[in-house]
Parts: sequence; structure tokens; C-alpha cells
Amino acid sequence: MKIALFIPCLVNQMMPEVAIATLTLLEKLGHQVIFPKGQTCCGQPMTNSGCFDEAKNTTLKLLNAFKGVDCDAIVCPAASCLVAAKENFHEFDGSQEAQEVISKLYELTEFLHDIAPIKAFARPVAAKISMQMSCHGIRMLNLATPTEQMGKQRFNKVEAVLGNIAGLEIVYPARIDECCGFGGTFAVDEGAVSAKMGKDKAQAHAATGAKYVVGFDPSCLLHLDGMIRRQKLPIETRHIAQIINDAL
Amino acid sequence: MTELYTASGSKVHAHKADIFCRDETRVDWHSKALWALREKRDRAAGSLPEWEQLRLLGSQLKLHTLSHLAQYLEQFEQQCLSNGIKVHWASDAQQHNEIVHGILAKHKVKKLVKSKSMLTEECHMNPYLERHGIEVVDTDLGERIIQLANMPPSHIVVPAIHMKKEEVGELFHQQLGTKAGESDPLYLTRAARAHLREKFLTADAAMTGVNMAIADQGAIVVCTNEGNADMGANLPKLQLHSMGIDKVVPDMDSVGVLLRTLARNATGQPITTYSSFYRGPQEGGEMHVIIVDNGRTEMMKDKILAESLKCIRCGGCLNTCPVYRRSGGYSYNYTIPGPIGIAVGAKHDDTNSIPWACTLCGSCTYVCPTMVPLDKIIAHHRRLKAEAKRLPYGKGGYMPLVGRFMANETLMNTSMSAARLALRVLPGSLLKPFSGAWGKYRELPVAPESSFASWYNKNRSR
Repeated sequence: MKIALFIPCLVNQMMPEVAIATLTLLEKLGHQVIFPKGQTCCGQPMTNSGCFDEAKNTTLKLLNAFKGVDCDAIVCPAASCLVAAKENFHEFDGSQEAQEVISKLYELTEFLHDIAPIKAFARPVAAKISMQMSCHGIRMLNLATPTEQMGKQRFNKVEAVLGNIAGLEIVYPARIDECCGFGGTFAVDEGAVSAKMGKDKAQAHAATGAKYVVGFDPSCLLHLDGMIRRQKLPIETRHIAQIINDAL
Repeated sequence: MTELYTASGSKVHAHKADIFCRDETRVDWHSKALWALREKRDRAAGSLPEWEQLRLLGSQLKLHTLSHLAQYLEQFEQQCLSNGIKVHWASDAQQHNEIVHGILAKHKVKKLVKSKSMLTEECHMNPYLERHGIEVVDTDLGERIIQLANMPPSHIVVPAIHMKKEEVGELFHQQLGTKAGESDPLYLTRAARAHLREKFLTADAAMTGVNMAIADQGAIVVCTNEGNADMGANLPKLQLHSMGIDKVVPDMDSVGVLLRTLARNATGQPITTYSSFYRGPQEGGEMHVIIVDNGRTEMMKDKILAESLKCIRCGGCLNTCPVYRRSGGYSYNYTIPGPIGIAVGAKHDDTNSIPWACTLCGSCTYVCPTMVPLDKIIAHHRRLKAEAKRLPYGKGGYMPLVGRFMANETLMNTSMSAARLALRVLPGSLLKPFSGAWGKYRELPVAPESSFASWYNKNRSR
């Protein structure tokens, strides 16, 4: 397939290794990958603060970067930004052209599970990983059944994608899908509560004895990384793209 | 009780939460106690194969009732009247309190026993009646504890959840004369029971809240675990029940749906010990129902906010909320804390900060037994505050700058490149003072050499 990468500003500027792993793994899977120019921010820091006027320019700039781009799918390695992009594109542009962009948007796990599943992994990854089941991916993108929801029909796309990697042991922290406390500007506006949530989450991950905290949302991972290093916990953060790329 | 809960100064949520967080052992204890309720809820809800269906039914029947509200309220009034119940309408808190006082004054009531009612808290009725010389005794154990401690509830179902048993022991020692240093829950509960029994027997009137008002029956439902509503309503000849207009449901089938989810979602019980239906006065007695608007009709004008009126006050959203559990019930600048407190209280919040006491994680929305879209309502409140130019935490000043910065690729690239360089070459000791709330609690990120865009240009561009 022909894939356009949507690399959110945080990943572009602060976690390029996540974008490189995403690009590389998609290429290894035989896809043709392009990176359209002119991408900035999805507008989430502003819209999550209620400031829609302030979000409009950057959202439309991002949307324009994808309008008319010849591709089958637009893939993003950040669930929260992907959700915000979808909602904000819809908010600020009701055109057919915008709708075409929106209908091609996929979060990486979602893409690898629903659209183009990985047939086989090439290499084992011998590691125990503790999954960071970030809120927006689970409760807004349906990457897994949230723990609040009852019933027998349960799914977990993240585990379904990673589960076939030989040598990989997947575990979960206590209070599996409780928020890590990042929450965008919440991390600074409500520093004390955000930090306490982050500390609890980092400790829960470390308590599993896993080598890596692995997640699909870079912003949560950045926050957890800061908490882990502050508390000198024996665990590191990795994005799912990095684990998958290592296995291909 | 302690300085922790009565801290003066700023009422801004982040400030109150910061004070609460200073005692980490207490935060851990508080968070764990409430999470235990969430776990009990999960087990109780999970035991019903039809749980998600019940949530959907609950949501639909509340939406249906709210969209035919006038019809059901009038039907309820008619049925009440034919059952010999007196019905009063109050447009706001002041009117509610005046009506209640009018009824009590007419009967020369000196002592009123009251069972749980968040509405009377919302109306600040206790202090109003006390100013008029009427003694109000809260009879729910948790409510009585906080009343003796002179505190408002910190949770809508377990109002004294913030107090440890040792603190209750000390309070009872001072107020009820229990043995000093005694904190055994059974001993303390027995002492409270004896104390309350005397109040019940000498009360002139009883008052309760209302969990549901059944339109086609002219009856109300009150759920308690302690039977205190029944002790009150069955002893004195005068009984009063206050309800918000959002409490009405069409019929007994609707009650059946909501009773199945209410207690399960609140505490993990299949049902409360007592689910009492009142449909008329005692022989020779009087029964009054006061129907209160107090801003609810106004809320219905906004399609998103209107859904908060589906709430049945189970408190499940408080128990699951990671922010509530770590900031406490007194940090919200409103009578009702937690997600539902933000939903119904944000418009009263003069600090304009409570809509931001949330990470938008969405757990509350999935827990809610009537599918109130709490995270969407909270996000909507942020937008309303922004539109009214009432943003907290300096957002009104910096957000336009962030907006311009994020939309300007060149500016973002050059400044982020400088920031990465600073993070790489400058010592942490130099950076920390400038890193604000991020660096206060976390290590600063390890900065990469270049952005992905630069890497891509070097490695992939043809």
C-alpha cells in the first residue's frame, strides 16, 4: 500500500526514533511510505483547553499537508494526536476533501490490526514488556476493551499485533488502564496530581519486573520516562513501533 | 478537621490538590479506598451478562424522560395529589428552602431528622433552617460524621470517605462521649446508632432526598443501607421529600432498570439494603414533595450539558476518577466533586478551574450506568469558559501564542532545535529553574540530535 506518514510535532521534534521505527517497519512490510511536508500540530493542546480559535490555523495547516496527497492510508504512531486530528479536521473543515483525509487516518496499531496485518515476524525479541494502555487509544479509538466495560466480547488489538513476536512476554501493570496523568497541559496546570498519577503508574510498570514499558502514545511515554528517571526505576520506555521494527 | 481540608486561600483546584498531595501516605490511602469501590463495582457489574444492555436502557429511558419532562412531571404531580401527597414547585434553592421552612414553621417543628440528600446540600438548606432555629440532624452515618465535624460531604455516596476511623473515634469521643482512643468501627457504629435512635424518637419531622420519582404511580423511591430514611419517615407524622426535576422516571419498569445498576455501580452491592417506596402520608400525617429546578432547565438548553441530567448519583465516576482519588472531594469548589461535579458545577465555579481538573481519560464515561458522556461534557465546559474569556492558569494569555507558534513551521523548527541543543549541552542544574512544573516533578526529556523531518531529508528524500 501507499502510506503517508502523519508524524505529530512532539514525535518529530522530541522522539524522532519513534517516527524512524514507524517508517522502517512499514517499509519492511513492503509498503511505499511518504512523508508529506508542512505537518505541524493537530491542535490538541489548544482544543483540549477549550481554545478552538487558537487551534484553527495549525489544524488547517496539518490538514492541508494531506489534502490531495496520493495515498491509501495516513498512518500515525500516536493515538491521542490521531484522535484530535480526526475531531479537529472535522470541526474546522466540512469539505469532501477534508472527509477524504479523515477517512484515511489510522493509528499505527489500528492500521497493523485492521487494515494490513503482519503475516510473519522475522526475528524474536527476547524481552518482558509491560503494556501502557493509554486512555485515548483505548476509550476513543477502540484499540482494546476498557476495563470499565463488561461483557464477554473483549478484544485487545495491541496484544493481537505484538502477540506473534517470538520471545516477547507481555504483562500488564496493576490498574491496567488507569490514566498515567499526562493529559497535555494538565501535566503542568495540575502538576502535583499529574506527577502523583505518573509516579503510581511508573511504579506499577516497574513492579511487573518488565524490561520495557511499551505503548502506542508517545506523549504518555515521554511523561512516564520523566517519572521513571526521576525515581530511578529499573525500566525504560519503548514505543510499539520500536518493538515491531526490531522483530521484522 | 485538619488543616488539610480547610486550607484557606486560593480555591483553584490545582492549588487545593497540591495541598492534598503533600501528604502522600494519605493520598495513597484515599486513592486505594476508592479504587476498592471501583473493583467491587467491576465484580458486581461483571456478574450481570446484560450489564451493558442495562446501561443503554438506563441512558435511553432517562433521555426519553428528559425530552418529555413537562409531561412526566405533571403526571407525577397528578398521581401524587390523588395519593394525598402535597406537591410544591421551587424554581431555585432559595425558594426550596423557603418552602421547606414554611411547612416546618406551620407545624412548629423544632427538630428535623434528615436522610441523605445531595439536593439539600446543593441548596445549602441545613444552615438556612438552623438560622431559623430548627435543628437539622443528618441520620446517614457518614453524613452524621461530617455534620458533627462541621464539614461538607467529600463524596456523594460515601460522604466521610476522607476520614480515617481514628479521626472518627476522636470526633465521637469529643461529641458523643465515646471512650478516648477507641476506633473500632463496630463500637463507633453502635454509639452512633444509640445517639441517632434518640434523635429519631424525638424528631418533629423527617426529610429525605429522592432517588427516583415514579410518574405513573405518584410515588418516590429512596435507597439507603441503614434504614434511616424509613426510621425518619415512619416516626414523626410529617414527612418531606426534596427532588430535582431530573429524578422523575415514567414507570415501575424504569425503576427496575435503574435499581439494578445504581447500587452495583456505587458500592458493588446487588441492591441497597433498603429500597423504600413512599406513596402517601401515614394515617393522620402529611407527606410533602418539593420539586426543584435550580438551574436544571437552563442546563437542558445546551444539548451536551443536558446529558448530565441523566445522572442517578451513584458516585461511580468519582471512584474511578484518577484525579478525584488524588485530589479529594474538597478540591472542586462545588458541593458535588469529581467528574459529575465538574459537569453540573462548572458554571458555578468562580475559579473557572474545575473543568481542567481532568485528563479527559474517559474512564468515568465508561463507568457511568446511564452513559453520561462526562469527558465530552467536561471538554465542552472548557470551550464555554474559553468563549466567555474565563480561562484559568494563564491560558487566556499564552494559548494564542501557542496557537501561532504551532502553526508556524519555521518558528517551531528553529526554536525546538534550540531547545534540543539546550537540553543536550546545558547541565540539568541550569535548566531546572526554567523547566517549571514539568521539571519540578519529572526529569526533562533526553533530547535527540535532530528532528525526524531533518533525518528524513537526509535519509529518504530523493
